[in-house]
Amino acid sequence: MSIEVSMHEDEFKAGRALGLDHRKLGVWLFLSSEIMFFGGLLAAFLHYKINNPSPAEHALLDVTLVGINTFILLVSSFTVVLGLDAIQHGNRRRLVLFLGLTMLLGAGFLAGQGNEFVTLYRHGMTLKSSVYGSSFFTLTGFHGLHVLIGILWAGLTLRKAAIGRYDDGRYTGVELFGLYWHFVDIVWIVLFTLIYLT
Amino acid sequence: MEATPKTSSGVRTYALVFTVLAVITILEILLSQPGVGVARQVLTPTFLMFSLAKAGLVAAFFMHLRSDTRFYTYVFLFPAALLLIFALLATVR
Repeated sequence: MSIEVSMHEDEFKAGRALGLDHRKLGVWLFLSSEIMFFGGLLAAFLHYKINNPSPAEHALLDVTLVGINTFILLVSSFTVVLGLDAIQHGNRRRLVLFLGLTMLLGAGFLAGQGNEFVTLYRHGMTLKSSVYGSSFFTLTGFHGLHVLIGILWAGLTLRKAAIGRYDDGRYTGVELFGLYWHFVDIVWIVLFTLIYLT
Repeated sequence: MEATPKTSSGVRTYALVFTVLAVITILEILLSQPGVGVARQVLTPTFLMFSLAKAGLVAAFFMHLRSDTRFYTYVFLFPAALLLIFALLATVR
């Protein structure tokens, strides 16, 4: 009996009494709050897009270029899961390689977004030009900020991987970074459809 | 950090999921080109379904919701459902 209680206590301390890892649960709860954050911005954008349309500004959006950017972000999600799979098989060098690729792809996405912003500004669509412009730049800008934070997180994860903090039995840090990165990818999938395609 | 139970789907599954995501994205770009000849009333729901499918695939396979504890799915889906309600309300004139 006392052994059972002690085991349960250990499980509780490890945060797994309910079969949940407390670190992972923490990240999932954070991501659910992020859904509400982007939900508010997205609702504002849709409201303005529908009730105060700006077809001239909408026509300035380059779906093909942003589609390529979307593809870059999808590839980066793929490299993250390849990195996770690598470390789960004890291959630290491949993890470092894939995290490095993820950072490069993330930077490529930001470069594409920066290019888009500059082009739109040159055509007169700015943060202040209309409610459409305001809500567009706020929404996509905050997403870009999340990508930037993801790149920094990837860098920290890469550093830990490089100094041997992860192996085939210890890779939760990689998984947690992956959850964030894939979430940012999902947000972009939704934004790409609602802003550019519809 | 000690690892949580393994949830990997395997490289082959990841590659398959990525291929589907890539094909859908290419389709989206092609369908969005002017002069495709498909009515907007058809395109909009198609794009929305594509988006839902892509988001679902990333969440299920890349974020491992398919194989991980079900509770994480509920934590993720509850605000997502609220978002959907907000988005629908936002479209009301």
